[in-house]
This record gives sequence, C-alpha cells and structure tokens, in this order.
Amino acid sequence: MSNEELANLATRLGGSLATRQKSVEITVSPDKVLQACMTVSSIPGLYHLTTITGLDLGEEIGLLYHFWQGRGFVVVRTAVPKANPKLQSISGPLPSATLYEAEIQDLLGVSFEGNPYLGKKLLLPDNYPAEAPPPLRKEADPDKIRKMMELE
Amino acid sequence: MPFGPVHPSLKEPEYFKLILEGERIVQVIPRIGYVHRGIERAAQERTWVKNIYLFERICGICSFAHSLGYTHAVEALTPFEVPKRARYIRVIVAELERIHSHLLWLGLLGHWAGFDTLFMWIWKDREHILDLEEAITGNRVHKSYSTFGGVRMDLPDGIAAKLKSEMKYIEKRVDYYESLVSTEETMTVRTRGVGRISQETARRLSPVGPLLRCTGIARDIRAEDPYAAYDEVVPRVQTSNDGDIASLLTIRLNEIRESCWMVSEAVERLPTGPYKVNIPRAVPRGESMFHVEAPRGELFYFVKSGGGSAPERVKIRTSTIANLLVATEMLKGHTLADVPVVLTGMDPCFGCMDRISILDVDKSREWTVGGEELRKYGIEYYKRSSE
Amino acid sequence: MANFRFGLTQWARKRSIWVFHVNAASCNGCDIEILAALTPRYDAERLGVELVPSPRHADVLLVTGTINPLMRDRLKTVYEQVPEPRHVVAIGACALGGGVYKDCYNAGRGIDAVIPVDLYIPGCPPRPEAVIYGILKLVTGSPPDTIEGEKAIVK
Repeated sequence: MSNEELANLATRLGGSLATRQKSVEITVSPDKVLQACMTVSSIPGLYHLTTITGLDLGEEIGLLYHFWQGRGFVVVRTAVPKANPKLQSISGPLPSATLYEAEIQDLLGVSFEGNPYLGKKLLLPDNYPAEAPPPLRKEADPDKIRKMMELE
Repeated sequence: MPFGPVHPSLKEPEYFKLILEGERIVQVIPRIGYVHRGIERAAQERTWVKNIYLFERICGICSFAHSLGYTHAVEALTPFEVPKRARYIRVIVAELERIHSHLLWLGLLGHWAGFDTLFMWIWKDREHILDLEEAITGNRVHKSYSTFGGVRMDLPDGIAAKLKSEMKYIEKRVDYYESLVSTEETMTVRTRGVGRISQETARRLSPVGPLLRCTGIARDIRAEDPYAAYDEVVPRVQTSNDGDIASLLTIRLNEIRESCWMVSEAVERLPTGPYKVNIPRAVPRGESMFHVEAPRGELFYFVKSGGGSAPERVKIRTSTIANLLVATEMLKGHTLADVPVVLTGMDPCFGCMDRISILDVDKSREWTVGGEELRKYGIEYYKRSSE
Repeated sequence: MANFRFGLTQWARKRSIWVFHVNAASCNGCDIEILAALTPRYDAERLGVELVPSPRHADVLLVTGTINPLMRDRLKTVYEQVPEPRHVVAIGACALGGGVYKDCYNAGRGIDAVIPVDLYIPGCPPRPEAVIYGILKLVTGSPPDTIEGEKAIVK
C-alpha cells in the first residue's frame, strides 16, 4: 500500500499518519481500530499480522498492531484509558490476533470484547492474585506479586 | 453441542486440551503459561547489556536468534553502523544455530515416531555443530555472542578451514538422513499426508517459518527484510506444497543444506576489519521494531527507550506463539496416535508435550496424559495398523 | 532435608540408574544438554543411566527450570509418584536458585522450596559431562553437594 493510500485511510478514519525509519504508523481512536486493521490487512501482501504490542503510557494503555507488508511495517496505533481499558477484538475477522490480544488481556488488563480468552487466562497462573494489578502495568510490583503467590 | 457429566482430572497446567469425538480430535484449546516467567517486566529493571543475557535465555535452542533480534533492535535506535565483518560473523553463527536447531528437531521427530536410532545418529552429528559454536563463541548453548555494535570477539584463527570441512560433512549426512526418512516406513507412514494445512489456513492464521513455507508461501525474513549480511549472502527460500509433516521434513532438510552453503559462502567472502564498533551506554530515546528469521520462523522485538539505563519496554513475539493456532488446526481430524508427530512438526519448545489433557465427548471422560505415554501409544497404534 | 544415599551394593546389583526428567518451566537449555548426555558422544547409557517414561519407574528425578506457580503442583505430584528410595537432582542455575529469573514475578527461587533435593549441578546450562559427573557422584554414595555461594547470593 502506498503512503498516499495510507494517508487517505488515516484521514478517512479521523486519524493521523507518521513515517518512521522502518514503518508507517496510522494513529486512530479505539473505535476505529477494527476498520483500520481490516483495510490495512486487505491489501495484497499485508495479510501478515506480526503481533500486537501493549504499552503502559501512564493514564493510557497504548496498543500497536504491527502488520508486515513485505517491504516495511504498517502499524495501527491507538490508546485506551486505563480507567476503562476496553475495545473491540479484531480476532473475528483476523483470527491470528487471538493469542496476541489474550496476552495483553493477561499482562496489561485490557479487555478485547469478542476475544475467546476474555475472562480466562492464557499465560498467567490461575492463582495470580486478583488484588494485584496486571504485571506489566507500572503500578505492579514484582516483589509484592511474588509474595502474594508465595514464590518465596 | 451437549455432552454429559465430565469428571475433572487433576488440576494441572496442560499445554493443550484435546476434545475428542469418537477417535478424532475436533477441537484443540491451548493454554500456555507453564514457561511464563515474567521476562518482559524483568527487562525494565535491567540495564541494556544485562538484558542480552536475559533474552537469550528465553529459549535454549534459538538463543542466538533472540540476542540478534534484541541487539539489532537497540542498534536501530542509535546512529551507529555495525561493521561488515561483524555482520558476516553474525550470519555464520546464526546459520550454525539454524543447523543445530533443525538437526535437534529431526532427531526428536525420529524419537516421537519410534525411530530412536535416527535420534541417536543425528544428535551425534549435531555435536559437530556445537563444537564449532563453542570454538567461536565459547559456549554450546547460551553464547552471549552478539553485542551492541557487533560480536563479542573475533573468529579464532584457523576456524575457516574447520567450518568449511564440517559443512561438507553435514551436507553428506543430510543426504543420508533424507534417504532414510523418505524410505523408512516408520517415518513415511507417520508423516505423509499427516497434519495437512492449506494455504488458505496459513493466510488466515499468519504462521511463520517452515510452517508457513510448507504451504507453498515463500516468505523468509532473511530474504524479505535482510539484516546482518543477508543482503550479500542471500538464502534461497525453501518451500514445499503439501502442507504436511513430510513437507516440513523436506523444508528443514533443505534449509540445513542451504545454511551449510551460507556458512561456507560467508567464510569465503569474510571481510577484514573490526568485529565491532563501540556504542555508548546511553541509548537514545525512541521506539524500534526488528524481526529476524529464527530457526522456527519470524522472531519480533519491539524496543522503547526513554533515554535511560534500562529499556522502558521490550515486547517479544516468539515464533512458537505465532504458530500455535496453526498447530491446533493441524491436529483436527487426527487421532491421538498422530498427536506427538503433528505437535513436533511445528517445532515447539519440547517441554510443551509434557502434559496434554483429553476430553472424550462420547464417553464423557476427561483425563490427562504425558508426552511419553502418547508417544508409546502412537508407536503401538501404527505397528498394529501395519500388521 | 532428606539425605538418602544409594548403597554401593544396591547399585552394583541393579547396574542401572533409571532417571525421569521433569522440565519445571525451563528454557530447554538444560534439557537438551541432559538429552545430549544420553547420545553417543557422551553415552551416559554405557554407565547404566536410562531415561524412563514414567516417574513410577524412576530411581532419580532430574529437574530443570524456574518452577513457576503453574508447575509447582505438578512437580510435587511427580515427586510423590517416584517410589522410595528416591533421589532428586536439581540441574542448572534456575533449578538451583532461580538463575537469571530470580526476581521475575512468575519464577521461583530454586526447586528445593518445593521438593527435597539431594544433589545440585550448577551451570547455565551445565555441560553433558557435568550432568553425568553429578549423577554418578550421587549414585556412588558421596554426600550431596550444596552450592553455598549461589544460595547465599539468592538469600
């Protein structure tokens, strides 16, 4: 997909475009993520979703959907508020996203509505303390978590 | 669909839950986490250099691929260029690792299929590769060899001739193994037509590495997005069209051959010059992404630097998690006897076979089984069906 | 801590050491060196060391890994299935004291917090020679080795 087409997509979705060393990034609001991902992945050669990265940005949790298109990465970027970390899952139309979203559910406490692992654990032990914040959040303290799980 | 009362088995972590109807597997639910340690979080509390030692220990089999992914991702945040000689040396060690990993896999496949002699012979030959790795890096498994700006030390004197002769040896052995696996009934009956996946499934589920290439899709990060010296020592991407375990065998055997050629080629054309460039400890602010072709497929690193002495965030996507859903698809329609070979086909970390939970819908029975029990069951099953 | 020992006569009669290997959340580095010890270059089998498919047949349990919460119960269960006299060997830095993960939120600090250990083999991973040396040392009746230095750092 050319940069021009991507720029048009960004404008259509009310977002912005940024070109970096190895990637082009479209930033959109959480409710536009599904649409952005479907458009980006429908371009020939862009069916490969490498992964989804979650980032604790303080008040928000950033989400980066990395698509590899054979010549560069196209990243769909968004952020959800920590106070209400919810958005729609893309695993229905793009099933390769299932485990990547599930990982972020476990480690950052984001809810991807429609993901089959919502409410279940993929990575974390079942006895992960309910009072402890998800482990990749800044407020999580690994030592405290260890003590709560009796890991000595 | 309704099924009767289920008697829960021991509450233990299972890597896979298999749901059976009659003899056939109809659904597979993975639950990973038995090796979850908390590495991405720990990385935020370690310096940039210390993290090299942490990340390479994510996996003992593709340890160098991890250190390559990480060091490249961090180098991308700096204005420094890795010297040519270092890039060639990185290719040599990365391809040696690919050979050792594929040989390891092939031996294990033999073991799971009941061909233990093959396992012993292959692992004996694999020692040649480990000797080379030890001569170059000082270690057999966790080599800590890639560092920011290049490699930790230069190649030892006289290694060039040794590398070339060992590559010739391995190529001969690969020819021999290929003749074995394509004629020995123990292997052929358990791999041909087994675990078939289609290109359509591959497009839907985004697998990586040999699992992707066995459907005929010729994608390899070394060719598509060259790093280190892969722009000059270019691999020929190996594919196959049948999408079954036999295809995976063909691809991995050919990849070993290709890697042998690449090592010899890299040695032949090895540039002179420094083996590393010094990079200051402070890593500039920014975000970077890097992917490498590990033996099992695309390995992805995302690194965020806030300018401090430790990374703000490192996100790692291993090849196994990318292939997990495809592996579950591969199992559908098969019987328990095929589980060991099909699961091994995706080249998982082999602890994963430790515990598999089975839910038999018809008999309303749920139980767990260990990898070894399944292996024996599979061998017996195929023996009986050949009688 | 249990301090069982194989008697020399017992071993001489058996002439074989049956080991069961448990991966308790390891990176596989130690596991592949243990397997390598059984392959022709190192050939632990000529010394009578055999890998068995079930803990119920084992004399010695070889344990690797960081023993995260998901694996603790499984390790205990496996240990209980090994008939007496049973021996446990902790292999690798992770099994000894958590290794490079000792401050991670989901990793333990040594398997001896879960089951009694008779012998420790340090390394990351230990070479196949070290694995064989350790198992033989256990079986020929010398006292268990504790790696005081590593434990001191962890505590």
